[in-house]
Amino acid sequence: MKIEDLERMKNEGPESLPSEERRKFLKMGLVVTGVFAGGSVLSLTSARNVYGALEGIKLKKYPYKPHYSMVIRQDRCIDCELCKEACVKTNNVPEYGYRTTILEREIPIGPDEFQREFMPVLCNHCNQPPCVRVCPTKATYKDKKTGIVMMEYKKCIGCKTCMAACPYNARYFNEEKRAIDKCNFCFDTRLSKGEKLTACAAACPADVRIFGDLSDPESRVYKLVHEPERVVWVLRPETGALPNVYYTKG
Amino acid sequence: MKKKLLLVLSIFVVALGGQGLFSNGLADEEEADYPTEPIVFIQPVKAVIFDHKFHVEEAGLDCESCHDDLFEQAAGTAEENDDFKMQALYEGKYCGACHDGETAFASNTKCAVCHIGVMGYNRMHKVDGEAEEKVHH
Ligand code: SF4
Ligand code: SF4
Ligand code: SF4
Repeated sequence: MKIEDLERMKNEGPESLPSEERRKFLKMGLVVTGVFAGGSVLSLTSARNVYGALEGIKLKKYPYKPHYSMVIRQDRCIDCELCKEACVKTNNVPEYGYRTTILEREIPIGPDEFQREFMPVLCNHCNQPPCVRVCPTKATYKDKKTGIVMMEYKKCIGCKTCMAACPYNARYFNEEKRAIDKCNFCFDTRLSKGEKLTACAAACPADVRIFGDLSDPESRVYKLVHEPERVVWVLRPETGALPNVYYTKG
Repeated sequence: MKKKLLLVLSIFVVALGGQGLFSNGLADEEEADYPTEPIVFIQPVKAVIFDHKFHVEEAGLDCESCHDDLFEQAAGTAEENDDFKMQALYEGKYCGACHDGETAFASNTKCAVCHIGVMGYNRMHKVDGEAEEKVHH
């Protein structure tokens, strides 16, 4: 995946985003505050004011309950990879693949001066997942209750069409399963057993991966995404996939 | 592999021997007897880098600034302490004595300046392909 260099990018302003794209995010309770790099990075903040103006009208903001999502406080990541280790152990991920990984980049902060930054990535559990759209056997699907993009391994014929369609490089072919494997927010291994956090979120010593229900105003993810003034962004919004993994700083 | 290790070792010895050269630039009573290679901590997380050279030459510290009050001189001693964690730094211990937001940037900011991560660690230890540390256990 190409890593965009946010720091250096000029904010092109929300005007340069097609209005259809903006409406989609408005429906999610978010308002677009900026577009970077020709729309490959998009920043959002809470649309609280918009909804405030519509008081009294019941708005169905989030399509799932719980609407699982992750907010990644990117600048706190130290690449200790305890998240990756926990994911491998919990979900039996082989050495040649990953469900989550850490990307690294150098941000220029002055002449010949660079600042290291780490960026965790995983499946975005997109609201309009390209992987689901292209799967010929419906082996991959969006769970109607939680919004988690899941795999039904025995339906997978290993054609890898979904791998090619995913804009986030979030899938790999699992030789043992003879099927595509990917992050499922630890649904089978943890959430369905009553755990509140994914393995990666629970293992992170730096509190980078905040996991929870975006439709619950008491949850940490809701509070972070809806905090006034906080800039939250998603990766590669131009694909129209509408990620449920958000990035922020601080 | 063996040859490369020898080479690395001899470079290290030359570097140590060469220290007399730039110690002249320091205060007279100071000997530049510090490791020229960066120290890499791997406990409690992989991995944090500390560069003596930078702290002596750029930040102008001398040995007594940190040894032995904040850090024992013997390598690896701090890492054995149970409290060698960020919390201790916030309380003014270890690096936190200076990295408090006044003397130097605060310990709870600019994480990746010192944290080189597993990727940074693996890069440093990549003498050749086979020596590369595996992340998965
Ligand atoms: S555990 Fe947290 S800090 Fe460590 S690499 Fe993963 S996200 Fe980053
Ligand atoms: S990130 Fe990729 S695998 Fe995950 S839902 Fe989106 S398109 Fe599918
Ligand atoms: S949510 Fe679970 S499956 Fe997904 S990356 Fe984290 S630990 Fe792995």
